[in-house]
Parts: sequence; structure tokens; C-alpha cells
Amino acid sequence: MNAITLIARDELRLMRRNRVTVIAFALLTLLTLAAALISWSHQSGIAETRARFQAQAAQEFTAQPDRHPHRMVHFGNFIFRPLPLLAAFDPGVDAFTGNSMFLEGHRQNSANFGDVRQSSLLVRFGQLTPAFVLQVIAPLLLVFLGYGAVARERERGTLRQMLVQGVSARALLLGKLLALAIVAALVGLPALAAFLLIAGQPGALAGPMAVMVLGYGAYLALWSIIVILVSALVRRGRDALLALLALWTVLVILLPRVAPDIAAQTHMLPTRLETDIAIQQDLHRLGDAHNPDDPFFTAFRQKVLRHYGVDRIEDLPVNYNGLLAVEGEKLTSRLFDDYAKRSFTVQQAQSRLTDDFGIISPAIALRRLSMAAAGTDLEGHRRFLAQAEAYRYAMVQQLNQLQADTVRYADDKAKDAGADQRKRISADHWQTIPQFRFKPATTGDLVEASLPGLGLLLAWLAFALLALLPVARILQKARA
Amino acid sequence: MTLLTHELRLLLRSRMALLALLLVALLAAASVAAGMAEVARQRDVIARIQPKQAQDMAAVAQWAAETKDPGTAAYYSFHATWDTPSPLAFAALGLRDVAPYILRVRALGLEAQLYDGEAFNPELALPGRFDFSFVLVYLTPLFVIALFHDLVSGEREAGRLRMLDALTGSGRSLWRRRVLLRGGLLFLALAAPLTIGAIQSAVPLPTLLSVQGLVALYLAFWIGVTLLVGRMRWSSVANAATLAGIWLVLTLILPTIAHVAINRLIPVGEGVELTLAQREAVNRAWDIPRADTMRAFYAGHPEWKDSPPLTDAFHYKWYFAFHQVGDESVAPKVAAYRNGIEARDTAARGIGWLLPSVGVQAALTRLANTDMAAQLAYQDRIRAFHEKLRNFYYRYLFTDTPFEKDDFDRAPTFVGGA
Amino acid sequence: MSLTATGQRIILSDVHLSYGSQRVLRGLSLHVDAGEIYALLGGNGAGKSTTMSALLGFARPDSGTILVAGHDPIAQADKARDQIAYVPENVALYEHLTARENAAYLLALAGRHPAPQDIDGAFEATGLQTSAWDKRMGGFSKGMRQKVAIAIALLRAVPVLLLDEPSSGLDPRATADFNRLVHDVARRGAAVLMVTHDLLSAADIADRIGFLESGRIIDEAAAQGADRFDVRDLHRKFAREAVTA
Repeated sequence: MNAITLIARDELRLMRRNRVTVIAFALLTLLTLAAALISWSHQSGIAETRARFQAQAAQEFTAQPDRHPHRMVHFGNFIFRPLPLLAAFDPGVDAFTGNSMFLEGHRQNSANFGDVRQSSLLVRFGQLTPAFVLQVIAPLLLVFLGYGAVARERERGTLRQMLVQGVSARALLLGKLLALAIVAALVGLPALAAFLLIAGQPGALAGPMAVMVLGYGAYLALWSIIVILVSALVRRGRDALLALLALWTVLVILLPRVAPDIAAQTHMLPTRLETDIAIQQDLHRLGDAHNPDDPFFTAFRQKVLRHYGVDRIEDLPVNYNGLLAVEGEKLTSRLFDDYAKRSFTVQQAQSRLTDDFGIISPAIALRRLSMAAAGTDLEGHRRFLAQAEAYRYAMVQQLNQLQADTVRYADDKAKDAGADQRKRISADHWQTIPQFRFKPATTGDLVEASLPGLGLLLAWLAFALLALLPVARILQKARA
Repeated sequence: MTLLTHELRLLLRSRMALLALLLVALLAAASVAAGMAEVARQRDVIARIQPKQAQDMAAVAQWAAETKDPGTAAYYSFHATWDTPSPLAFAALGLRDVAPYILRVRALGLEAQLYDGEAFNPELALPGRFDFSFVLVYLTPLFVIALFHDLVSGEREAGRLRMLDALTGSGRSLWRRRVLLRGGLLFLALAAPLTIGAIQSAVPLPTLLSVQGLVALYLAFWIGVTLLVGRMRWSSVANAATLAGIWLVLTLILPTIAHVAINRLIPVGEGVELTLAQREAVNRAWDIPRADTMRAFYAGHPEWKDSPPLTDAFHYKWYFAFHQVGDESVAPKVAAYRNGIEARDTAARGIGWLLPSVGVQAALTRLANTDMAAQLAYQDRIRAFHEKLRNFYYRYLFTDTPFEKDDFDRAPTFVGGA
Repeated sequence: MSLTATGQRIILSDVHLSYGSQRVLRGLSLHVDAGEIYALLGGNGAGKSTTMSALLGFARPDSGTILVAGHDPIAQADKARDQIAYVPENVALYEHLTARENAAYLLALAGRHPAPQDIDGAFEATGLQTSAWDKRMGGFSKGMRQKVAIAIALLRAVPVLLLDEPSSGLDPRATADFNRLVHDVARRGAAVLMVTHDLLSAADIADRIGFLESGRIIDEAAAQGADRFDVRDLHRKFAREAVTA
């Protein structure tokens, strides 16, 4: 057996014999399992609720009686975003986004009823998920288990003894690292088990899961190296512990909070109110539907009349109001898309700025990777919003087209007692409107989105590994 | 030279102690600055929307006045409400980053408008804001640990403990002095930036004193914990490790477990449920006799029951009536939803008595008026304003009074709370 | 507290003390007079450091009497400690304070506030080189640290000086310096008790030597004439003690 494995075995034996170490390790294992369990049941509860509401909303929509199609445009439809499977591991921004949307004509509503607005302040303390345990707490355990690995030998003088006996400082470092890395692997094991449980579910995504395993593995390995490096560089065990605690606080707790603050101040988002007003103004500039002589709508009328070769609206084979609704929706939707895109561009810039802090905080890099692979990041939310808007547009336009094709213009205009009945079309039509089906991101998309985070983490890992060399040299000289 | 100045020199000569104190002061100052910048931004936004809102109203008035129809005016007029940050909001931003502080409403059904969110980047909200409450609740205990974990054990390990004891009799006054000095300096490092920020933000003195008291209490709690652990006569390393473990459990693990437990034990009838019900109730009006709707409306609003009966033609008073009746039909659901949220909040506050981290956060956000209660109070103000709005338009709608251009200026305006 | 007053400053009479079932002191009796230097000589486990602890009030005797400057170190801890200067085996002072700052601080802790020139005088008396007075003590040798500790004792002007293994780790020259210094302190009227396992150093400095074995004095020798002690005789006694121990 070579020196490295001997040293690693010795270190592991020491940890095994230390009651505090064993208890801490057992507690973390329990915590991971509890987190996995809680997270899993929480997520399936949410998924079930959302599925139930989705079914209820769909049933209510199709159960509407005979109506004027435009009434259905305003009745609208509720849609819900199903949770991605990996949200049980890392729910990401789910608690903050809201997952239901009310879709109606001429309006783009916000996603509402996020957990954060209907929970107590405790939600801001973070959520107990496997991702949280591995990102935040596991490094702390590695710090506690490993801070003394080298510093202890130096403090007690055994380091000098070993060096004199011909054990190289590099072997010593690698041996200690091996021991801690084994512990790190054990720390990650329960989470991996939880992961495999999820993988057993239908629809699990192999690619993103592989990236996540790789990412979390690199993260824990990185922390093992950092712990050993600091333990080797700092002379006393106590100082090593304090330095590592400070490092952990800055990298895992402080920077992830400071970065978003800087991002929010750098790239400011307009408020909804401003966006709404701006859209209204733009619409007004395009054409004023309330003005009978408005040039835009006059031109549209002329175009329609020319297209059908008639002189009067009343002579059209279709309902002019329906066509007008289609045209109006087209206009407003284009504006909605435009403003939504602008808002997302700002948000993406914010997120990118935050991600850049991953260069100085591996915790940020890992969080980015984890959420991206799980599909629970901003992009995942945007995907939902984009699909919701596409669905809203299709639904509204289908209803508008129904108005053009099946409601007579004369009835639409009529105000007599029976007019209300004549305007209505059969409820069967509601069945022809397809249900909203959220199309989750493909494996390729998720993997691709998580690669930048993975790249950063691997760069960190490589950098830390390289740093072992000069530190070993310094340690070797400590013999003098 | 007094003993205290000796002790001060001793403490500040220690590089780690000096660094820790400077860092606390720096973090506190940075968090106060960040909080004040955010609050200033929110105030700016609130100020910025006023002219835009006025312009928007004028634009609506421009064309809607021609119809002289109060219904058209009411339908197209959006009225702004806002929730001005309190002077202390900078210290604890609370829910202000995720809950809207500006909301436009019109006289239509409120339940379909009240829960609309503001545009925000959820990735930025996820880790929480960097404000004074964060520095206090999360980081300060770590600095207390750094400064106090070796208070006695450090002297023991350096071999000075016997000499100190022999020199000072019992030594009790020595430790008391050192604890007070370190605690006092920590308090200063935290409270000085806070106080400067508070004075600039015109925080009332009693509030400021309460926050300072809270800071002192929280410090005292953590100092007490470190002293208790110190009594075990373990090594400095063991003290530090134990204390960091306690910190982890008290500020990260237990609150998250409590969160899961509360949300599990107190289910909140999802807001979606009441919105679905409200929509169903509102839209049903198109399919039932209009007289039914009006009867239901007049039952709740008898002051308008002498309004002329409806004809076959569309009349906006019926439209606004069924929106209101829709809202009223889900009132029990609304109450249940709100009670659920309040019960969760109360439960979390209860846990604050057991977990100081939660307790301090709850107390700070309460003092800063940025907590759930403040959110609900804002909703209440919107509700009250919405009622005023409706009554204003009802007066025209139910008496068939033409709505002139000047009447747009007579509409009630929201009085922003402080 | 007058230093010229004579009389027994340190009294241990029939002191028994045990840690749990382990009996450490078994009827220890000795006394040290004002102006006298008493060396308590003993091997490992003889009870030297326990004797020191008992005198400082850190260990409570099961029976017997201990008086330090007339005070019981347990019952009147504050008063007793006020009369004692204690120099541990390894004088540990605050490394990031200068010698002068350490002296000023530790004296302040003991309730004394000497003028700066008094501190200078005490440093001078201990022979601490002037260049070290305002240096941080981080780099001080053991001898230098002892000198600072003695300077503090001098400034406190207490009637009792307790020295714990003062000569261990000192080179011969530093030992000679130190011994001279202790003599000065004794000449000013203090009762000095040192515990040590260094026979030569004890012979060099003490007026009386007590041989401690298994928690009591088994033999005592007093300095006589110019030669003071017959070192070979002392050695015989010490070796016998070591054998029987």
C-alpha cells in the first residue's frame, strides 16, 4: 500500500473514532433523506393540486353554455404549469413564480399565487430540499471534518516527523484529500439515492441528471480541496477552522445574496403599471378603435371590403366584428410579445450578471447548473409564459374566428329582445378548442442550459487541483 | 489609563478581532446602503408612475367623455394604488421584493385584480435580499462566535488563565468587562450604520430605539450561547465547531423545517380556487335573467334599488352589478384564504419565540412594515379604495347621470400610506 | 504589607489533598519566612504543581492549613491573591502588546496604576534590555518574559513570590541573571517559594531546600556558609528520594 492510501486510511480511522464526527455525519445523512422525502411529497402534492385545478378549469371551460364567442374570450381559461420532475430535487424559483395564469382576450395577465405570497416569512429562510442540503450544508460538514487534517499534524509536530521519515508533502496532501473526498462521496450518497428514486419515475431525464451528478460531485470535490488547502496553509487548527468558516460564509451565504442585489440595481425592470400604460399608448398610436374615422381602422375596412368585393360591411359573407377582433388581437399580442421580450431581456441580463459571480463563488455556479438542469430556473418560467401566451393567442383567435364565421353581423349589431339568443353559438364549439399542454424543455435544452455552470465548476476544480502543487511545496519547506 | 482602555487596546491589537469588527461595520453599512438604495428606487418608481398615470387617465377622459357614459368611463379607467415604503423599510425589505407595491384597479370585480403580481425576476428573489436584517440575523451570530468562542479557552490555551486568575482574584469582573467590551463594540459596529441610515430616512425615535433594542437582544442571545458553550471548558476549536453547528441549526435548518411543517399543517385554500369560483360567478350573469342579478345586487346595496328598471338594451349598471355580485359570492372563500395566510403568519411568529433568528426577522419586518401583515393591510387599503371607486361610479350609473369630462377629476384618488 | 516586616509569610501545615481517589499531598508542612527563598525540590508526581495550585487557591485541601500572607487562599481568595505574585513555568503574556503595555495592563488588572517611570525602573532592575521595553512580546525568549513577569511582581510589591520551574529552558547565563534577580526580590523582604526539579539551580539560589516526595517533605537542607550547600550531599538525598518514589 502506498503512502497516500495509508494516510487516507489513517485519517478515515481517526474520523470514525471521533464521536462528534460520526454524529454530524449521521445527522447530515438524516437531513438529506428527510429533505428528499419532504421535498418529494411537497412536490407531488403541488403537482396533484395543479393537475386537479387544471382538470377543473378545463371542465368548466367546456361546460359553458351556448354563448357569444366574445363572451368566451372574456371567460378565458386558466392554465397551470406542471412541475418538472427534477423540481423534487431542486425546486428553484417555483415558490416565487406562481404557476397559474388566467388567459383572456386583449390582456396579458401575470402568473399568480406563487407560494411566497401565501406562506409565512419562513419561506425566505430557504427551503429544505436535497439541493439546499448539498449546496449549503454539505460543504460546512466537510469544513468541520477536514479543517484539522493537515493543521493538526503541524500543530502536534507529527508533520515534521512524517516529512523526516520521507513521506512527501504531496503524498500527505493527497492522502488527506482522498480521505475527505471519500467522506464527500458518502455525504452525496443519500442525495444520489433520492435522485435514483426520481430517475425511476417515468419521464426522468438522463442527460440533465448526469450533468447534475457531475456538477454536485465537482462541487463537493472542490470543497474537499479547499478545506485541505486551507488546512495546509494555516498554521493552527483553530485559525484553519475560522478561515474556512469565513470562506464558507462569503461564498455560500453572502455572495449569493449580494450578487442579485447588484444585478437588480444595475438592470432595472419597469413596473407592470408602466408597461400596461406604455402598451395602451402604443395601441392608441396604432389606431383608435373608438374613433370611427381612425385611419388605421378605415384602411382595414377598405382592405376587407376589397378582399370580398363588396361595398358595405353588411354585405360581407363573414361577420366584420369578428375580423376586427382578430385584427385587434393581432395588434395587441404583437405589443405584448414585444414588451414581454423587453422585460425578459432585462431579467436575463440580471440573471447573467448574477451568474458571472459564479467566477468568485462556486455555490452560485452550482445553483445555476442545478436549476438549469432541473428546468426550474428563470428560463423554465419563461418557457411556461411563452407557451401560455402562444396558447392564449391561438385560443382567442379561434374564438374570434368563430365570431366572424358563425355569428351574423346583423345579429351582432341587433339590440332587440331576441338578439341575445341569436348571437349565441352552440356550446359544442368550446370542445373544439384544444387543451393547454405544457411542452417541457427537451433533454438537450436542459443540458445545454446547464453547461455554463458546469464549465465554471470544472474550472474551479482544475484551479484548486493545481493550487495543491505550490501548497505542497510550501508544506515541504515547513520541515525547516 | 483605565482598565477599559487597556482592554480596548488589547482587543484591537488582535488582528482577527479588529478585522471582524471592521467587517461587521462594513457589512452593516453596505446593507444599510443597499437597503436605502432599494427603498429610494421604490419611492422613485412610485413618484415616476404618478404623471404617467395622470396622462393615461387624461387620455381615457379625452375620448370616453364624449360618450358621457359613466359605464364607459368606469370600465376604461384604471386607478393606481401604491404602498409607500415605511421609513424603516430599508432595514428589512421583507416581502417588498416579491409582492407588488403598485397595483392598478378598476371598478370591476376586485378578486380578479387583487392578486396580480408585479414583474420581478424570481432568480433574484430566490436567495433573499442583502439588507440589514440579513446581516443581523445570519451574519452577526457568526461574528459573535468569532469574537467570543475563545474568550476563556483562548487564555487557557495560551497559558495565561492561571496568571490572570491569580492576578485578579476571582477574575469575574475581568470576563464581564471583556464580554461587555466585545459585545458593545459589536453593537456599535451594527447600530452606528443603522442609526445613520435611520436618521437619514427619518425613522421615528421610538422605532429606532426598538430596532436597536432588538439588535442588542439578539447579540445578547448569541453571546449567552457562546458563554454557555464556553462553560463546558472545551478547546477553542471545539467551541467554534459546536457554535457553528448551533448557528446552522438555528438559522438554516430549523426555520426551513418549520416552514414545511406550517405549510403542511395549515393548508391555504389555494387562491386559484377563489379566482376560479369568482370567474364562474361573474360570467354566469350572461346566462341568467338579468333581474336575478339586479335583485342580488340591490339586496347588498339597497341605496340604489330605486334605480330605473333595465330595458332590453345593454346597461353598464348591470355589468358592474354582476361583477360586484360575483365578488360577494366568493366572500367566504376570500375570508378563508386570507385566514389561512394569517394563520401561517401567526404560526411563524409563534416559532419566533423559540427561534430567535425567526423572531428577530419577524419583529424587524413588523417594525419596518414590510411583512405579510403589511401586505394584507395594503390589500385592505386597496379594498377600501375599490369600494370608494365603485360608489363613485354607482352614483352616476344608477341615476343615469351623464359623466362629463370634469367628472373624471372628481374620481376618488388613492391616499398612499406611509 | 510592609516588606520589611518579618515572620512566616507562607505556611502549609499537615496539608492533605487528593484528586478523586488519588492522594497527592499527604501531610505536607513547610513555612517560608519574609526575605527567605525556599526551593521545593521534587521529581515527577511528587506533588509540586499541586502544592502551587493549593497556594494559589485553585485546589482545595481535604485537611490541614494553608496561609499566604496570613490569608486562606480558598476562603479569602481575593485577599490572598492580592498578596501573591505568581510566575508560571512558561510566562505567557499578550504577544501583541509590548512589554510596557503588558506590565501596565496586568498591573491595572491587579488594581495598581504605576507611573511610566516606575515601570522603567522595574524593567531596569530586572535587567531587561532597554530596546525590548517597547517591543511586542511575540518574539521574546523565556528569560525575557520571566524578567517582565518579575518586573510586574516588583511593581506590585507583594510579600509573596511563587515561582514555577523558573530555570527550566533557560541557558546558564540566563539562569544566573534570573537567580540574581530573585535574590534582589527576597532582599526587599518578600518570601519566595519556588518549585523545581533542577537541583543545581535550587542549590544556587535557595536559602532552604525541601525534598518533596509522595506529597510530603521527607528532608530539608539549609544553606550554610560561603559554599551554601554540599551539592553531592544534596544529590544523594535527591537520588534516594527518586529511588524510593
